Order: sequence, then structure tokens, then C-alpha cells
Amino acid sequence: MSGLAVSGRIGEPSAAAARRGLLAWVASVDHKQIGIMYMLSALLFFAIGGFEALLIRIQLAVPNNHFLSPDTFNQIFTMHGTTMIFLVVMPMLAGMSIYAVPLMIGARDVAFPRLNAMSFWIQLFGGILLYFSFVAGGAPNAGWFSYAPLSEPAFSISNGVTYWVLALTCLGIGSIAGAINMIVTIVTLRVRGQTIRRLPLFVWMTLVNSFLIIMALPVLNGALVMLLIDRLLNAHVFSPAFGGSALLWQHYFWGFGHPEVYIMILPAFGIISEVIPVFSGKPIYGYGFVAASTVAIAFLSFTVWAHHMFAVGLGHMFVMFFSFTSMAIAIPTGVKIFNWSATLYHGRIRLTTSMMFALGFIVMFTMGGLTGVSFAVAPIDWQLTDTYYLVAHFHYVLFGGTALAIFAGIYYWFPKMTGRMLNERIGRWHFWLTLIGFNLTFFLMHPLGMMGMPRRVFTYPDLPGWMILNMISTVGAFVLLASVLLFLWNIQMSLASGAAAGDNPWDAWTLEWATTSPPPPENFALVPPVHGRRPLWDLKHPDRADERAWVEG
Amino acid sequence: MSGVPTLNPFSPEAASISHLFVAILCVMFAIFALVAAIVTVAIVRYRDREGAADARQEFGNSRLEIAWTAGPTLLLIVIFIFMVRTIHASDPPVRGRTPELRVIGHQWWWEADYLSSGVVTANEIHIPVGRPILIDLESADVIHDFWVPELGRKIDAVPGHKNHLWIRADKPGVYLGACAEFCGNEHAWMRMIVVAQPQADFAAWQRDQLAVPAVAVTGEAAQGARIFREQTCINCHAIAGTAGIQRIGPDLTHLASRRILAAGAADNTPANLFKWLKDPNSIKPETHMPNFQLSDAQTHALVAYLETLK
Amino acid sequence: MPKAKLAIGLFILSEANFFLLLIIAYVYYHAYPGSGPTAASVLNPMRTGLFSILLFASSATMLVAANRYRARAYRATLTWLVATVALGAMFLLGQALEYAGLYERGVAVNRNLFATTFFTLTGFHGLHVFIGLVAIAIVAGLSASGRLAGSAREADAFEAVGIYWHFVDAVWVVIFSVVYLWAIL
Repeated sequence: MSGLAVSGRIGEPSAAAARRGLLAWVASVDHKQIGIMYMLSALLFFAIGGFEALLIRIQLAVPNNHFLSPDTFNQIFTMHGTTMIFLVVMPMLAGMSIYAVPLMIGARDVAFPRLNAMSFWIQLFGGILLYFSFVAGGAPNAGWFSYAPLSEPAFSISNGVTYWVLALTCLGIGSIAGAINMIVTIVTLRVRGQTIRRLPLFVWMTLVNSFLIIMALPVLNGALVMLLIDRLLNAHVFSPAFGGSALLWQHYFWGFGHPEVYIMILPAFGIISEVIPVFSGKPIYGYGFVAASTVAIAFLSFTVWAHHMFAVGLGHMFVMFFSFTSMAIAIPTGVKIFNWSATLYHGRIRLTTSMMFALGFIVMFTMGGLTGVSFAVAPIDWQLTDTYYLVAHFHYVLFGGTALAIFAGIYYWFPKMTGRMLNERIGRWHFWLTLIGFNLTFFLMHPLGMMGMPRRVFTYPDLPGWMILNMISTVGAFVLLASVLLFLWNIQMSLASGAAAGDNPWDAWTLEWATTSPPPPENFALVPPVHGRRPLWDLKHPDRADERAWVEG
Repeated sequence: MSGVPTLNPFSPEAASISHLFVAILCVMFAIFALVAAIVTVAIVRYRDREGAADARQEFGNSRLEIAWTAGPTLLLIVIFIFMVRTIHASDPPVRGRTPELRVIGHQWWWEADYLSSGVVTANEIHIPVGRPILIDLESADVIHDFWVPELGRKIDAVPGHKNHLWIRADKPGVYLGACAEFCGNEHAWMRMIVVAQPQADFAAWQRDQLAVPAVAVTGEAAQGARIFREQTCINCHAIAGTAGIQRIGPDLTHLASRRILAAGAADNTPANLFKWLKDPNSIKPETHMPNFQLSDAQTHALVAYLETLK
Repeated sequence: MPKAKLAIGLFILSEANFFLLLIIAYVYYHAYPGSGPTAASVLNPMRTGLFSILLFASSATMLVAANRYRARAYRATLTWLVATVALGAMFLLGQALEYAGLYERGVAVNRNLFATTFFTLTGFHGLHVFIGLVAIAIVAGLSASGRLAGSAREADAFEAVGIYWHFVDAVWVVIFSVVYLWAIL
């Protein structure tokens, strides 16, 4: 195809470049390498964010502790939250999408490979910028959502919050660019025969999620821009003392923040929707309903934001509206849980490590979702918001939910990415240590919150029961440390000497399993024909091909 | 706080929330048990093993989908209806009622101004038993949150946005509270106590709080009074009967009558007061109160003076 | 479906959201002005209106440029692209003059909440205009050096640039109405 100049400077990015070594990675515009780089970056920040969590838990193990000063504690918990959300979960999920989606749709790469690379590097730059704050006067210390006016210069004297704003702006730009890339890729580069209704659910959820990102991240950028002007140019948009509004920040932030939590869970739902059917040996139950409920969640996610503000005092009408919408969003979520569970029935369940994490996800995420419903009941929120019960809730959905799904996805796709299997025995240990460590750390935070312990406190009074619950939680955090070390060891060992994976070690059905492990630079030598949702199943069972079976009952 | 304060209500407002919460907890347990059972049964029955049946290639069932969409919807509608009742019960309307108490959140202490009687105090709020008191809640700086779980809901103290809160205790007692919105370094030690007393005792307390303490003229206490004036304490703290009228720090007029110091960071004892004055950071690190580098003798004198402020 | 047009459409969706948030902040503080300068007291809708006409005219010239491009009349395309850049640059010049005038009268970004939201909203719009001018200038440069060839991919990209430019103008219609016209109503 003709195009721009043939001079070699402006031309098609060449994914088949023969460069080797580190430079090849740095200069890469290949979605597989970029996806892996996203995931490695996320893993690095996961270790850092996890270390921050351990520091928090050590400080909170006993009352009146002096391990961390209050300001240091505040920086650590702010960085822990910001890191886990923006530098771990979002890049990890983005990386998995960037890696898997082009393969699952039979494409050679994403629609805009160079934009893809830019998205990764700006994300990494944002992360480095955020952490640079530690040596530039102090990390941000106003919490991961930086409420005003605490985040304004009068109350937040170091440059930390400014670094937070700048870093998040970079990350937001990277996310939006990545989302645009994903949508254009999915819409324009699908292989012939793969209609929208035959999309693998991971791809569908990535598509819906990308729209969420495009609509929600600009809201954050708008808020960040005004906070930056307040901090650097002495404006007062969010300073009540000068006529500004502290509540405006909250509306803006949660206008982003609530869709954000769905941005962090939808791709996880997608992973589960791939893993559960494959290891049950049967198609997902109720594909249409799972797909439709995803769209419902996406729309509803823009109508619930002020449930984060129930305790702000905005009036009963306001509270009732947002309570209603927040309860409503539980329904499509529940539909998914039921569909995944129904997929298990009459299946032939292979308890691989990936599957175990997926099953763990169903149970743990349900728990997190249920505490979420309790928060939708506003008077209950009036007692329990901003307590450790809330900390428990969001860790159950984000760790018990998203993180477990991410582990499931890694065990599932690692063979494809590297050509080697992760060790299943170590994987089982990893799973059980994670499940035990996670529940030890977070389950008892539910009663702790009910007993009155607020969140974001650097220490607490020696009230009956508070110390033992905190101490157990700290022990749990160290069990989690062990599980993560085990996981990293599994990765390292398997990369060196894991069993060869072959093209399709799981006997799975989507297109990524129809090429070598790892795939060649152009992804496919030949893309199989696509006449249904499970192309490789259809190939293997021509007499029982999906759409025929469906139509013929 | 004994037991689980959010489930141990001492007012009708707190009780209405607590009852709803228990009901919701039961529903949550039931649903969780159901999901856990469904998954466990599936794993046990349909595990891949020798002789297991082939996986059934089924795609779904619309009626089942409608059932498990409609069921939860109905359940949530019921919950919503009960919730609306609880909203009104736990947060009664304020229209036209005059606040009796103004509570202002500062970094990191609570100012309490009794609007009808004129009592001014800090961190320890007295109320008469059995009668609802309307609080006008404000903030002098950043967002704080007023929360006494045994007595009712929490609500933010937002600068630029006045809030109102009913507070009531059915039984006499000391109820612990805390700031529940991250407000900076000493958020953890921005606690308060609500002391509910029979009406007569409450009236007596108010009278005592309004009394102007005698000016100390002899001994260590007089020395302490002089230090209070000369060491610029007077620039931040008010003590009735002296030239100190500022509200930057807590009002100290009846400091010796209070149970806690530094918004709960320590109990109010002479030893702790000494520690606090000698080096505030030793009790409440990074507090706004400066370290005046007082000598031991000066500190003793100041403690002696402040202990007269009953 | 053409990739570049879809991509720019999605990008516009995200930017529209961003501007919406800034507009909301402006409108919110319009209702709670506090003391100090207001839109009615310091802005000149007439003068800004004239400069706005230049910006809207640049949309028209961009349309003509696209039309000439589709007809493969590349020299005419260049002419109309240059006209677009010139008109857009004059709009930015007008905005710079307006900012300078305001600054001289003590209306800086931190003067009051009207000033902050005004400068933020119009400033980010100006930034988007500038970026658009850079993009159009690049296309003009390609045209001038004879590198346009009229392939499907190239046409897709050309149209995407045009769509972005029209979006920037559409945003100005909204901003001009909300900030300048509303002030004099």
C-alpha cells in the first residue's frame, strides 16, 4: 500500500525488526512486547506498593506505635493507594488487554502501534515522577483522592501533592490513548467472521472498559488541572476560605473515581469469563446476558458517584437517589456471578492454578460486592464509611476480586507469552497462601470498622479488641508477602526451566491458542476460520460446532 | 467503647441504623453462603476425574436469567423501602429548629460552643440524657467528620458548608467519638467524648463551666499564671478572667475538669499535662502546638496553674 | 471503518468531557462570584466576537481545503490549509491581546474565581487551537513538499485532522456563548 514517503523515515512500523536485546524492547512497537512491559512495570510497582502496605501494617500492629511518624505514615498510605490503583492494577490490566486482544481477534498488532508504545512510556514516566517526590521534599500525603482543602497549599506544604497531580495527568493521558487504541483495534482489525456477537468476552469487556476510560479519565484531568492551578498559581477553586468549594473537588473526583473502580474490575471480569469456561470444558453460560450486563454496569457507573459522599451532608433526596442507583448497579453484577457459577455445572472442571484463582475470585468478589451493597444502604454508610469496614470492602473487591483475576490471567496466558508453563505445584501453594493471607489480613477489618476504628489513622487507642485484630491483620500481610515471593520465584524458575507449553496447553478455544507460544512477530502464520465464539472448539468438533448446536437446540 | 459500638446503640437514631444493619448483615451472610455453596458443590460434583461425564455444551436459559435478575431486584426494592424509613428515623429533619451547640472542627481538636448558655469548651461535650440536641457542625480549616458511633451517624464538618446533626443519649455515660475524615497528621488523635448526664447534673456542669476561675495569686500557680501570659500561650488560648480570648487553640478555662488531653491523645493527668507542655510532640507528634522550650520548673508552675482551672 | 477518523472521534469524545468539566466549574462560580471582576465587567464580547469570526472562518477554509484535497488539487489544498493556519493564528493573537489587556488591569488567573475559571477554560481551548494549528501546519508542509498522494490511509488521516479542527471550533461556540454572551444577557 502506498502511503507517506518511502524515504524510510516515515513509514510502517516494522515489527519484524531484527534488533536484539534491551534496545529491541525499548524501541519496540510490537503489542506483545509492550503488553509484557506493562505487566513487568506493574509487577515492579506491585512489589513497591506491597512494601508500603507492610510498613503500614507494621505501624498498626500495636496501638500507640512509633515505627512511622504521622507524616511519613500519611505519605506511605497515599502512595500505597495511588500506586496500587494507577501503577499496578490499571497498567496490569491494560498490558493484558494489549497483549491478548490483537491475538484474540486474529490481528497482527493494534491499530496504532506507536501510540501504544507512547502510552506505555508515559505511564512509566508518570510512575517515576510520582516516586521522585520522595526525594524532592516528600511524597503526596493527602490520601489517594486528595480531598480539598487538605490538598491545597495552605494545608499541604510539600510539593508532594503537585507531583501526584502531574503523575496522574501523565497516567490519564496514557490510559486515554490506550483506550482509543483498543477501541479502534477491536472495531477495525477483527478477522473476517468474528462479528461483534462472536467476540470473546475478554475482548468485549475490554471494548466496554475502553469507553469507560475515555469518558471517566477526562473528568479526573479536569479536576487535576484546576488543583494544579490552585497549587502553582495561587488560585482558590477548591479553597472554601477564599470562596472556592471543597465539595466541587469531591464531585469531580468521584465523577472519575467511581467509573474508575469499574475500569479496574471489568477486564478482570473478562479474564474470569475466559478462564472459567475453558477449565469447565463448556461455553460461558448466558453469553448475551454477561455481555449486556457489562454495558449496563458501564452506563450505571456514571450515576452512582455521590455514594462516596453520603456523609458529606447533601440532603436526603440526594442520598436516596444515589442509594437507588448504587443498589441498581448490584444487579448486573450479580447476574455475572450467577452466570459464572452456572457455567461450572455439568462441566468437567480442571482445577488448574488459573482455575483455582478464578473460583477464588467468585467467592471473594461476592463478599466484597455484598459489603458494597451494605454501603449502598445510606444509613449503614453513615456509620461505616471511612472506617476499617470500608478498607475491608475495597480490598475484597480489588484484591479478592481484581488481583485474584489477574493471577488467574497470568497463569492462563504465561504459557502463551513465554512458551513455558508456570509450575502448577508452586502455583497451588501460591493460591492457598494468597487466599489465607488475604483473608487473614482483611476479613477482621470488617469487625474492626464496626468497633469504631476510622481509616487513615497512623495509630489508635488501646481499646478492647483493637490490638488483637490489627495484629492478626499484620500477620496476614506477611503471609501475603510469602505468597508474592513464591509467585515471583515461580515466574523466575519457569522462565528458566518451565515445561514447554506448546500452542494450546489448556485445550482452549480462542484464537490466541491457534499460534505458537510465544507467537511470531506477525502473530499468525494463518488465522483459522471463525464461525462462532469458540473457533478452535468448532474446528475440533465440526459436528457439534457452537452456532449449529445453538440453532438446532 | 465496649463491644461493637455500631451494634450497641444508645439512642433511637443509632438504634434504627443498627437494626437495619443487622438485617442487612443477615441477608449478606445468606447470599454469601449461597454463592459459596453453589461453587463448592460444583467443584465437588463436576470435578474432572476418571469416568466423569463429558462437559455439557449448553449456552444458557433465558428464564433462569430473568429469575436471577428479578429476584435480587425485588430484594433490593424491599431493602430500599426499609432504608427510606431508617433515613428519616436516624436523621430527623432540622427545619426551623435552633441549634443548641456549635461544634467546630479544627486541626486537630473539637471546639464546642453552647449557643444558649454560652459555655465554651473543647473535646469533651456534655449533653443532658434523653433529649435530642441539635448540633451546628462547621470546620475552621479542612474537612473533618464528627462520629460517635453509639449515638448515631457520622457527618462531615466541611469548611464553607454548614451541617447539622442531632445527638441524643438514652442512658448516662461516657461515649467515645473520633474524627472520621482524614484531616492531616494528627487525624488519629482528633477524638472526642460525649458525656451524657441527668438534667440536674448537666445544669450543674454548665454552671461550673460558666464560672470564672479565681485568679491565682500565690505560689507555683501564680508563677504559672504569669508564664501563661508571658510565654505567648495567651496568643492562642482563652482562659476566662485573663486577657486570653483567642480561639486558635482550645479554650482552657476549665481544663482541669476534663477527662482527656490533646483530643484523646492522653488522659488528663498532671503527669501527662507536664509531658504535653514540656514537649507536645512526645504525646501528639507533629501537633500544631509549638514546643516553648520551657524549663522543668516553668513547666511545673504552668501545670500547677492549669490544675486550678477546674 | 477508517481508523484515524474513529480514533479522532473517540479522542473528541474524551476532550468534550474534559471541556464540559471546565465549563461546569465556570458556570458554578458564575453563580457564586464573590468580589472582584466578573465577565460583564472586564470582557469585551464585541472584540472577542470579531476574533471568533476569524476562527469560524478557519473552519470554512478547512472544509474547502478538504474538498480540494479530495479533488486531488494539491496546490489549492495547500493554499486553503495556509489560510486556515493564518486565521487560526490570528484568533490566538486576539486571545493573547485579550489576556495581556486583562493582566494589565490586574485580572490575573488568581484574582478571583471568575478569573481562574475564565483563564482555565479559554486557556485550554487556546492550547487545543495551537495543537490543531501545528497539526494543520504539518499537513500543509507535506502538501508543500509534494508528498501528498491521495491514498485511502492518507485521506483518512487528513479528514481526521479536519474533524479535530471543527471540534475545536465547536467548543469555542459553546465557550463564547457561556462566557461572553451570557455575560451581556
